Parts: sequence; structure tokens; C-alpha cells
Amino acid sequence: MNCEQYQELLSDLVDGFGSGEDRNRIESHLSGCVACAEVRDDFVAIAGYCHEHRGEYDAVPNERALWLRISNTIEAENAVRAKESVPSGASSWFRLMNRSWQLSFGQLAVAVAAIVLVVSIATVASMKQLYSGGSNVRTAGPTIGTNNISLDDRYRQQKQAIAYWKDRVELNKARWNPEMRDTFDRNMTVIDTALNDSMKQLTQNPHDPVSEDILNDALNDKVALLKEFADL
Amino acid sequence: MKLFSSATRNWVKSFSVFLLLALTVGAAHLVAAQQKVSRHYPAGKNVRLELKNIAGTITVETWARDEIRVTATMDNRKVNFNPRQTDAGLVIDIAADNRGKVDVGDMNFKIELPARSSVDLETRSGQITVSNIQGDLVRAHIWTSGDITLSGINAARVFATNTTGDIYFDGEFSSGGTYEFKSGKGNITLRLPANCGFRLVATAPTKEIKMGPFWHPGMKLVSEGRRITGDVGDGRASVTVTNYQGTINFLRR
Repeated sequence: MNCEQYQELLSDLVDGFGSGEDRNRIESHLSGCVACAEVRDDFVAIAGYCHEHRGEYDAVPNERALWLRISNTIEAENAVRAKESVPSGASSWFRLMNRSWQLSFGQLAVAVAAIVLVVSIATVASMKQLYSGGSNVRTAGPTIGTNNISLDDRYRQQKQAIAYWKDRVELNKARWNPEMRDTFDRNMTVIDTALNDSMKQLTQNPHDPVSEDILNDALNDKVALLKEFADL
Repeated sequence: MKLFSSATRNWVKSFSVFLLLALTVGAAHLVAAQQKVSRHYPAGKNVRLELKNIAGTITVETWARDEIRVTATMDNRKVNFNPRQTDAGLVIDIAADNRGKVDVGDMNFKIELPARSSVDLETRSGQITVSNIQGDLVRAHIWTSGDITLSGINAARVFATNTTGDIYFDGEFSSGGTYEFKSGKGNITLRLPANCGFRLVATAPTKEIKMGPFWHPGMKLVSEGRRITGDVGDGRASVTVTNYQGTINFLRR
């Protein structure tokens, strides 16, 4: 143990707490450490004075008035400090941001209600715009399925996955027997045909739900088939 | 050369003996090359079978015994075949058991199990035939080519998918059940009882969706008839049928 730890135990020692073993250990440390012995003496003096003068203090005449005075003094000091911290040439935005806000419950409730109102109005206005005059936003490109990713983006994303798995398949393909290679190629052609047909349909009718679904399904089927055969 | 001269008779005799010998040797070679394994596993009434094959046919039938019999005929004698018994039932994963092997060849399965079983079957190519299953699940998935035939099925969930090949379903739809049939190129035929009820989404870009006796004016044609949606009967089962390049046919039992 170091001096700091011994000094933390000194208060208990002076008050008569602690085990006999602790007491012996601290006493033996104090006999060789002048600094800790002085701290012990201070504690003993404070405790002795408190014991001797117990009940001799006068009650505060007006406790509430005293606390008000203390509170006013602290607030006055804070205000002076805040004024000093704002530079003389500071902008009104700077003053606003550095101001200390103290709101009552009523003020806070009104502020929250105002924020909710403004956000609601803004949301309703933007939704109206989206569904009436904002149709050009949604027709930026044909969309697939429920997510609003454009056809090209979706196809590009899937193409990356397809390219990756295709490479893996090509690496292993040489090891397959001719029958397996033929079966795989034939079935991949079936999926590619479905993909191309649905793409063609979507070019003519960008919002055709059947073609969108077929395109989605066929893309997923292609990735799944490539994945399955990449392990072979 | 006379037709029945002794020279001719001798020639015919010699040729017959040679042909017989050749056939015997050929058959013996074929038998020697193939290996047939049959195993039995104890099973409760509601057992689940999972089978993942690489290539070959899968035939599942039901019987009245509380056990599963798996009979496997394999082209390649070196194929690993290690069925695993689990708490739920039996798992056979030929793909995992033979990972890294270059040519496993065809492996044909015949499986007999209790009628209340669930079956989850998958193969990269080959046919799948399932008969008389009355359990919770029937799933048949062929990654590439092969026909799927499901007959006498009464399961709450049925999924049948392939890329090339026909799909035939003959069975009933349970109220609240889910049924999905999907083919890339082939004909999908569903043979159903007259009183069955289901909510249908049938999609075929070829526009060849024949509802037969299940058609009614309340059904909706989407995208110029490439999709048909609507309720048949009470509409409590959910049925999705998709065919990229083939027909969809509904028949009444």
C-alpha cells in the first residue's frame, strides 16, 4: 500500500472503525511516515474540536432567504462571465447560440408542439408534390419490384454478382463431364432468354408488373444457379 | 449361297453364340459397374426426409410401416453415401458427402416412408417423383433439367421448381396452405378437386394460362393476360404458379 491508500483509511482509524489487523498495519506505517502522521494529527484535531463543540452553533435565522441570496449571487456571477465571454463584435447568431436557455414546462410544451406542426405541414406538402406534380421523379427509369431502384442500377448490381459467380463457374467447368456442361449451358440459356424477353418488354412498357417480376425472378435464379454450380 | 445350307446354318449358329456371349458380358459389366445399396431407418409417423442429390432420379413412395427404406443405385462405386439420422428424421446430402469429386455420376434413389412424412428433395439434374405424401411439407427442386411429378399429395406446403422440364401436381390444397410451382421452360399442370379453394397468382409471359373449369368472370387478367389473379372457391390457400416459357394448365379431377 502507498501513502495515498493509507491516508484513505486514516479517517476510519480516527473514528474508531476498522479491524485490528488494519489498525496495526496503519500504526506501523505511521511510525515510519511523517507525512501520514501529520494527516492523522489533523484528522484527530478536527474530530476532537467537533466532539468538544457539539451543539454550540446558532441556527440560521431565515434559511430560505439565505439560499435565495446564494442563488442570486451565483446567477449574477454567471451572467457577468457569459457577457465577458461574448466578444464585443460578435454576430447576433453567435450571441443566440451562446445564450443559456432556461424554459418552463409550458414554454417547452409549446415549442415541441410548434416543431411537430411545422414538420407535419412540410411532410404533407412534399407528399402532395410527389404524387401530383412530381411524377417525373418516379419515371426517371423503370423500377423493379417493390424497391425504387432503377432498372439499370438494379441490373448493374446484379451483373457484378453474376460476373463474380460466372468466373468461379468457369474455373471449375473444365473439370465437369460433357453432359453436365451441356445441361448447365442449356439451362442458363433458358434463364437468359427470360431475362432478355422481360428487358425487351420493359423497354416498351417500363411499368409492366409482370415483366418486372419475371426480370427479378430470372436475375435471382441466375445468381442462385451460378452459386450452386460454382462449388462443383 | 442357299438359304438353309449347312454353311448358312453354321454361320447363324456361330453368330447367335457370339451375340449371346456379348450380351452376357455386357450385362455383367453393367451390373458390376452399378452398385445398389438398401438401408432401413426407424421413423415415427411424422418424419422429415431431406435429400440433396447431384444427378439421377428420386422416387418417393409411402407405405404403412414406421420406418424409412432408402434404396440407392449408383453408377460410380466410389460415391460416398452417408445418410444421417437426426431428431427430425433423415438427412442424405450426396453433394456435401462428395464435395470435390470430379465425376460422381448418376445416383438413383427410391425411398419408402410413412405417409405423414415431410419431404425436402433437391437435385442438380434428374427427375423427382413423389406419391401420396400427407405430411406438412413437400419440396422438390431441380436446379437444371428434370420433370417433377407430385401425385396424391395432401400437404400444407408444396414447392416445386425446375429450370427445364414439366411439373405435374395432382392433389389437394389445404385451407391456409402455401403452394408454389415454378418452371423456366416446361408445362405446369395442376389437377385439383372441383371443390378446392385458393387465391391464385399465375404468371406466364407466353399468355398460355388455361384455367379450365376453375375460370370465372371475377378473375383478373393482368398485362394482357400474361398473369391471372383471383380467388377460386373460398380462396384460403395461396397458390403461385410461374412459367417463363411454357404453359400453365388447370384440370379438374
